[in-house]
Amino acid sequence: MFAFLLNRLAHAVLVLLVVSILAFTLGSTVGDPVASILGLDATPADRAALRARLRLDEPVVLRYFLYLGDLLSGRLGNSYGAQRPIIDLLAERIPATVELALAALVLSVAIGVPLGVFAAAHPERRIVRFLMTSSVIGVSVPTFILGIILIFTFSLTLGWLPSFGRGEVLKFEYWTTGYLTASGLKSLIMPAICLAIGQIALVARLARAEMMGVLRTDYIRFARARGLSDRAVNFSHALRNTLIPIITVSGIQLGYLVAFAVVVEQVFQWPGMGTLFLQALSQTDVPLISAFLMAAALFFVSINLVVDLLYAIADPRLRIRSLAHGAGG
Amino acid sequence: MLGGNVVIKSLRLAAICGALALAVLPASANTLRYGGTTPPLTMDPHSTNDFVTASLVRQVYDSLVGLTNDMDIEPGIATAWVPAGENTWRFTIREGVRFHDGTALAAEDVAFSIMRQKESALYRSMYGQIREAKVVDAKTVDVISQGPDPILPRKMVRLFVMSAAWAKANNVEKVPDLGAQGTEAYSLRHANGSGPMRLVLQEPGQRTTFERNRAYWGTFNGNVERAIYTPIASAPTRVSALLSNELDLITDVPLQDIERINGAAGYMVSSAPQQLFMQLEMDGTRDVALDIWDRNGQPLQANPFKDLRVRRAFAHAVDAKLIVDRVMRGQAFVVGTAAAAGFGGYQKDLDVRWPTDVELAKKLLAEAGYPNGFIVQLHCPLQRYVNTEEICRATASMLARIGVEVRIKGMPWPEFARMLVNGPNSSFHLIGAAGNSGDVQDTFTSVMATRSREKGLGGTNWALWSNAEFDAVTAELVGTFDPAKRTELYRRGLTIGKEQVHAVYLHQPMLTWAMRRAVSVPARADSAVMLKDVTIK
Repeated sequence: MFAFLLNRLAHAVLVLLVVSILAFTLGSTVGDPVASILGLDATPADRAALRARLRLDEPVVLRYFLYLGDLLSGRLGNSYGAQRPIIDLLAERIPATVELALAALVLSVAIGVPLGVFAAAHPERRIVRFLMTSSVIGVSVPTFILGIILIFTFSLTLGWLPSFGRGEVLKFEYWTTGYLTASGLKSLIMPAICLAIGQIALVARLARAEMMGVLRTDYIRFARARGLSDRAVNFSHALRNTLIPIITVSGIQLGYLVAFAVVVEQVFQWPGMGTLFLQALSQTDVPLISAFLMAAALFFVSINLVVDLLYAIADPRLRIRSLAHGAGG
Repeated sequence: MLGGNVVIKSLRLAAICGALALAVLPASANTLRYGGTTPPLTMDPHSTNDFVTASLVRQVYDSLVGLTNDMDIEPGIATAWVPAGENTWRFTIREGVRFHDGTALAAEDVAFSIMRQKESALYRSMYGQIREAKVVDAKTVDVISQGPDPILPRKMVRLFVMSAAWAKANNVEKVPDLGAQGTEAYSLRHANGSGPMRLVLQEPGQRTTFERNRAYWGTFNGNVERAIYTPIASAPTRVSALLSNELDLITDVPLQDIERINGAAGYMVSSAPQQLFMQLEMDGTRDVALDIWDRNGQPLQANPFKDLRVRRAFAHAVDAKLIVDRVMRGQAFVVGTAAAAGFGGYQKDLDVRWPTDVELAKKLLAEAGYPNGFIVQLHCPLQRYVNTEEICRATASMLARIGVEVRIKGMPWPEFARMLVNGPNSSFHLIGAAGNSGDVQDTFTSVMATRSREKGLGGTNWALWSNAEFDAVTAELVGTFDPAKRTELYRRGLTIGKEQVHAVYLHQPMLTWAMRRAVSVPARADSAVMLKDVTIK
């Protein structure tokens, strides 16, 4: 188990290192930070001074190692645009994004799994075919269009839900939550649906495929032979065996949800990391762009790590195989 | 032990309830909820020149010289200003003005603010020539420049007055900028100005709340007690927020939504010309232009734009009126000289654009030696200005009529800015031009004068246009105080620019606000919603 853990950790570090190189290079390709900070009117002397101060004149490799050193010692620096420490900016924005992604995840599992089970149990029903076809639409409609349609319907026409923002939030130490206020929950509905819609379709299709496989196995036939009800067979016998892949995929999808939140946040002016990132891009706010990418990578890597470990705990074969592999190599 | 725990718990509960109560404070009739595209970057008036930030900061901080809703100068913190000697302007400071913390505004605060703001690299092009701000007596400040500066009072509409004692007490005497690692400057979300509104709460990137300053020295033309500004980047969302009554007013209305909003019962649109005009700039210096090819696609070893006939051909081929009508949906004015209505020094009778004449343009092009035209790349900034992509496409199809094939290269603003600043590496591009202070003199010195690092001229002359006669006019203008003489020089400069086709002038775009009919406020060219002038019925 220890060797397995070490192996996975090494992978994670490698991924983060690669991302740090990408974040570093991307930061300087989207524009010129000096041009973005000083605008078009500044004098050449001021430009040169700022260039020197930001160490943009140093060789690229040296700058990368300086950047890496800063990262490792936790110095993310100040945002050029917001003129504030990046660590504060991220801390302020992370709760909004995480709450949005979690809400979307819960929605996608709560709706997707029953839908998939139902579809697997009754493959011939017309309603099932209809749902499965429309799930393709769910996957393929661009998020921002869906968002605008939602706003048009529920804010503009019906006036039920707020079109922007996060509503009132409660503050606990480092976390702000919109889960505990009425307006916070109301504000959450549309962005969460918008973000979840593609995931619902994905989870439903996955659950259906897994269920169809399991339903063909012998022990399900025995269960039916014992005279158990359809409901009992489907939910307590079959579903339980399909849950592992669903949980895995959902876990990994949480990373995607955070990443896709960029578009949803922009449409609903959700005060999370996505809006922050887009603002940073438009201002060539290099430190903030790289910090966002690193934070996102860290998030992805941690989720994958946790999923891997859970897998190993759930399935001893994985553990043993990796040990044997580790010993062999 | 147990008791302590309970106390802490109930304290926490109380804190939560307090936070709730604060958050759900009802929006009273006199609260203006408004929204724009971007958030204010900071509340420190001197540490950014972002115009959205400036328009919000103007509610809290007064400028030394005031700016009317029509962009004319008026007394502000200074009640009067007169030239006192060759390089000096003498400002008389208004008496009885108080900062929001109750302290009196003194001449020292004015001098402090001038010196503080001029130190910012962002304001070097405006205030870099100021050598010293000297307190003469309790109500007089002398501003001494390195040379004569006839438009200094006009520039002072962007000079915001901050309390010196407050800045010192909060360790922000120097303009905070990127250098301060790991800290946030106090002035970023706190303010102490003397403006019509006080800053209640600045939540960076999310919300800015103001309330009326009851001790304001000026008059309120409106009845707003409180105002909340929210940035909403996505335009459809912003419009929906207005139409679903979540906001009372929005700025930056997309052109295609204007009719819809005007058609909706209870809403209206208000617009004002921006202090900016769009133009196509053409390389005036290089012997071999960049990104230019002959009709066979071979690089052209020449710069056609150095030939006045080619420049004139372009000017006559591009129909600015058509662009205004179609692309800008009427929300712009055709511009005929390097100035636009609202600029100091603007000459209305000269503002007549070249007539569109395709035959003449073809003839000029043939005379210049390009009877079959040529191929040229047009650098097109994709953000920052209204409908640029469509403007570029329209330009391309109009120039196609005279045989010039235009290849459009669309660039996001950061990339476009980098190309100009680190080059400039463009021989043909679309850009918005403006005087920094809203005076044509600034357009002359910065956009049109021959680029010279030593003289500090032509800093934003990205197409390297150069004309000796024009430079002479500019040199004379910057040292001339006599109004009649200045008018003559403005006219000469603008005429040269037009005759020599400094650039293909297009239009002055309008900025558009939309609001509930119950709200009234004049739209301003500088995009500032002056909260003191807002009336809510």
